[in-house]
Amino acid sequence: MSEVAVKPLVTARARLRLARLVPYLLLQVLIVIACILVLRLLQPSDPDDFALSEFTQLEDGVTRPVTLPHFTNSRYSLADPPLYTGSFTFRTADAAAWSVFLPRFSNAVEVAVNDVVILDSRRDATANRPDRNTPEIAPIPSALLRDGANTFTLRLFVWGPLKGFLDTVYVGPDESLRGAYETRMLLFVTLPVVFSAWQSILAVILAIMWLMRRHEPVYGVLAIAMVLGVIQAFLPPPVPPAHPSRLAAVLLASAPIESALIVVFAVLFFGWRWPRYGTLLFAPGLSVFAVGLVAGQPLPRILFLLLGIPTVGICLLLMAGVTATAVVRRQDAASLTLGCAVTIVLACWGHDMLSVFEILPNERTFVSRLSYSAMLVAIGAGLTWRFARALNQVDSFAGQLIARVREAEDRLKASFAREEERARAAALANERTRLMRDLHDGLGGQLVSIVALSERGADGRPIADAARAALKDLRLVIDSMDDIGGDLMLALGSWRERAAAQLRPHDIALDWHVTTPQGLPLHPELRPWHVIQIVRILDEAVTNAVKHAKARRITVTIEMLGGAPQDQRGVISIADDGQGFALPIDGAGNGEATGASQTARGLRNMKSRAGRCGATLELDSSPSGTSVRLQLPQRFPDSDAAEG
Amino acid sequence: MTERDGAPAAITILLVEDDAPTCWRLQDALVKAEYEVRTAGTLGEARQALNARAPRVLLTDLRLPDGHGIELIRETRRRFPDTEIMVISALGDEESVISAITVGATGYLLKDAFPTDIATTVRELVAGHSPISASIARFIVRRTQTTAEPPPGPALNTARLTPREIDILWGIAKGFSYAEIASHLGLSRQTVPGHIKNIYRKLEVHTRSEAVFEAVQQGLIKL
Repeated sequence: MSEVAVKPLVTARARLRLARLVPYLLLQVLIVIACILVLRLLQPSDPDDFALSEFTQLEDGVTRPVTLPHFTNSRYSLADPPLYTGSFTFRTADAAAWSVFLPRFSNAVEVAVNDVVILDSRRDATANRPDRNTPEIAPIPSALLRDGANTFTLRLFVWGPLKGFLDTVYVGPDESLRGAYETRMLLFVTLPVVFSAWQSILAVILAIMWLMRRHEPVYGVLAIAMVLGVIQAFLPPPVPPAHPSRLAAVLLASAPIESALIVVFAVLFFGWRWPRYGTLLFAPGLSVFAVGLVAGQPLPRILFLLLGIPTVGICLLLMAGVTATAVVRRQDAASLTLGCAVTIVLACWGHDMLSVFEILPNERTFVSRLSYSAMLVAIGAGLTWRFARALNQVDSFAGQLIARVREAEDRLKASFAREEERARAAALANERTRLMRDLHDGLGGQLVSIVALSERGADGRPIADAARAALKDLRLVIDSMDDIGGDLMLALGSWRERAAAQLRPHDIALDWHVTTPQGLPLHPELRPWHVIQIVRILDEAVTNAVKHAKARRITVTIEMLGGAPQDQRGVISIADDGQGFALPIDGAGNGEATGASQTARGLRNMKSRAGRCGATLELDSSPSGTSVRLQLPQRFPDSDAAEG
Repeated sequence: MTERDGAPAAITILLVEDDAPTCWRLQDALVKAEYEVRTAGTLGEARQALNARAPRVLLTDLRLPDGHGIELIRETRRRFPDTEIMVISALGDEESVISAITVGATGYLLKDAFPTDIATTVRELVAGHSPISASIARFIVRRTQTTAEPPPGPALNTARLTPREIDILWGIAKGFSYAEIASHLGLSRQTVPGHIKNIYRKLEVHTRSEAVFEAVQQGLIKL
C-alpha cells in the first residue's frame, strides 16, 4: 500500500477519535459542574440561630479575637494547644437540655463549659480521622449552666502537617442541634462505613475470581487495592501522643499504593500492556512505606502529605487519561462508567486540595474518600456487567456448540450409515465372488461332466457318481455358509456324516478319534471360505483313499498341539490302510495311468487349498497306507493368500 | 397297530412326493426292504390316503403342487399321534427341516440317500430312534446361545431344553457318535436316542394355539 493511501486513512481515524473524544470531554465537564453543584447543595445546613463564632484565641502566649471558622498553624506537639474562649447566654426559663455541637474540627478538641470539661474528642477514634469530617455533640449537664452568661472554652489539638481548623461552634437546645449532627454523622461516618463494607465484600469476590482465574491478574490487583482501602477504613487511627505500631502507621498511609494499583487495574482491565516504567508509579507509595517502617512519626505523615496526596492526584489524572482513551477506542459502557466515576473522584480530590490550601475558605470538608466509593460502585458495576456479558457469551457459545455437535453427529451418522452400506455391499460382493469360485470348482465342473457323460450315452453309474458329487458339493457350500461361531468341529460334524454316507456303499469303515472333548481350538476369525477349503481337502483325501488306494478303513484323528490356549493348534489327520501311491515328482509326465495323474492333481489342489488357509499339509504314502496331516494355523488369514 | 411278530411288510408307509422319479426311487428302496408303501403326489391325495388308513410312517416332501407338506405333518400329528413323520429333503437344509420339526416331524431323509440308508433310517425310526443330523443339532444348539438380536431362520423355542440335552446336541453337532457322547457325559449309550426324542418333542409347537400356528405359517411363507 502506498503512503498516499495510508494518509487519508490515518486522518480519518484521527477525525473519528476526535469525534468521540469531544462529546466525552463535554460530558466530563458537565459531571465536574454537577459535582460542584452537588457539593454546594448538599453542604449540611447548621442551626445558625445557635452559632457561636466570636472567640478570643490564646496561641503561643498571644491573645487575639478570632471569628470562626478559623485556621491555626500546623504543629507537632500536643502541649499548650491553642485555647479558644467565648461565652453564650443561657436562660433558665428554657427548660430544655442544652448541648454543644461541633460540626467540623481538626484534629481534636477538648470542650469545657464554665471550666468543666464536657467533651474530649481524642477518645473517639473516628473523630481522629482528618479525612472523615466527624462531627461531635456533647450535652451540657444542667447543673453546669448558669442563668445568663456562661463561659465556653475549647482547646484545639493539632498534629501536623495539616493546619488546625475549627468550624463554627453551636451551643443551644439539644433538639435544635441534634438534627444537624445526625445528618453529618450519616454523611461522613455511617456512609463511609457502608462503603467500606461494600469494598470488603468486593475484595473477597475479586480475590475468589482471581484465585479461580489466575491468568487474569486484573482481579487480583483490584482485590489488593480494595483490601488496602478496607484496612485504612477499619484500622483505628492513633491518638496522639500515643504512637501506633509502625506497620499500622504505614498501612494508614497506603493510599498512594492503593491509587497506583487502581491505575494498574484500569490498564489491565482495558487489555493494555503494562508500560515499562509503570512500576515507578509505586515508588512514592513504597517510599512512604519504607520511611514509615524505619522512622517514627511524624515523618510518615509529612511524607504522606508531600508525596502520597500528589501521587493520588497523579494516579487519578492517569486514570482519567486511560479511561478517556478507552472510551474513544472501545465506546463501551464499562469504560464510560469508569471514566465518569474517575472524573467525579478527580473533582472531589481537586475540591479537597483547594480546601487544604485554603483557597476555598470557611470550609474543610474532605470528600475524596467518599467519592472514591463512587468509583468503587462504578468498578463493581463494570465488573458485574462484564461478568454477565461473559456468561451470555458462554450461554450462546454452549448453544452453538450443542447445535454444531448435533449437526456433526447427524453428518457422522449419515456417513457411518453410508460406510456401513458400502461395507455390506463389499462383503456381499466378496461372498458372491467366493461362492462363485467355490461353485465353479465343484458343482459347476460336476454338472458339466454329467452333461458330457449323458451326451456320450454313458451308462448310469458315472453319471450318478458325478451327480452325487455335485449334490454333496452343493450341501457343502450351503453348510459352510452357516454361522458356526468359529468352531470348526461343527463343520467337521456334518462332514463326518456325509463322509460316512459316502463310504458306506464301498464298505469302508470311518474311524473317528477326537483326542480332547473340545476337539479343535476356537477360531473367531474363521470364515466360510476357510471351512470350504478345509472340508474340500478332507474330501479329496477320502476320495483318494476310496478311488485309488483301495482302502478298507479310514481313520480321522483330531487333536490339539500346544498347551497354552493362545498357542494351541489343531491338527486333522486322515490315514487309510490302502496300498498307497507313488508321490508325484514334478515334470514326471511319462504317460502313466489316468488315476495317478488325477491323484497328482488332487494332491496339488490339497496343498494349494491348505496354503490359502495358512495351514500346512503333510503327505506320507507307503504301500501300507497313506496319511494326510493337516496342521491348522493359529490364526486363519483374513484375505485369500492365493488372491494376491 | 404294532405287529412285532409279523413280517416288516406289516409296517405301512405313506410316501408323499410330487417328483415321479424321486418317488419311484424311494419307493423302490422301501419296497425292497419289504415295507408296505403307498404313494401320493399331492396334498389332496395324501389326505385321501390318510382318511383311508393311518400309516405307521409318513414320509413327505415339503413343496407339493397343491399345498405345503407342513400342513400335512401338522394334521397327521394331530390325528394320528402314533405315526412317525419324516421330511424328504433334497438338501437337508435347516430352514425346512426345523420348520417340520416344530410341527411334529422327527428328522429328515435325503432324497439322494442310498437305498440301504433309506431302509435303515426308516427301520430305526420305527424302532423309536429319532435320527438327528449334525447340521440340525448345530442349528438347534446355536439357537440356545443367547444373542442380542433374533437370528435369521424359522422361530425355535429352545427354552425347555435341559443342559444335558443341550450337551448331547453339542456332541452330535461336533460329529461325535452316540457312544462317544454317552462316555463324555457319563450316560448309558442306550439313553441317548431317548433324549433325542425328547428334544424333538420339546421343540414341537403345540398347534392348539392358533397364534403359534400362524407364526409357523408366517415362517413358512418366507421359505
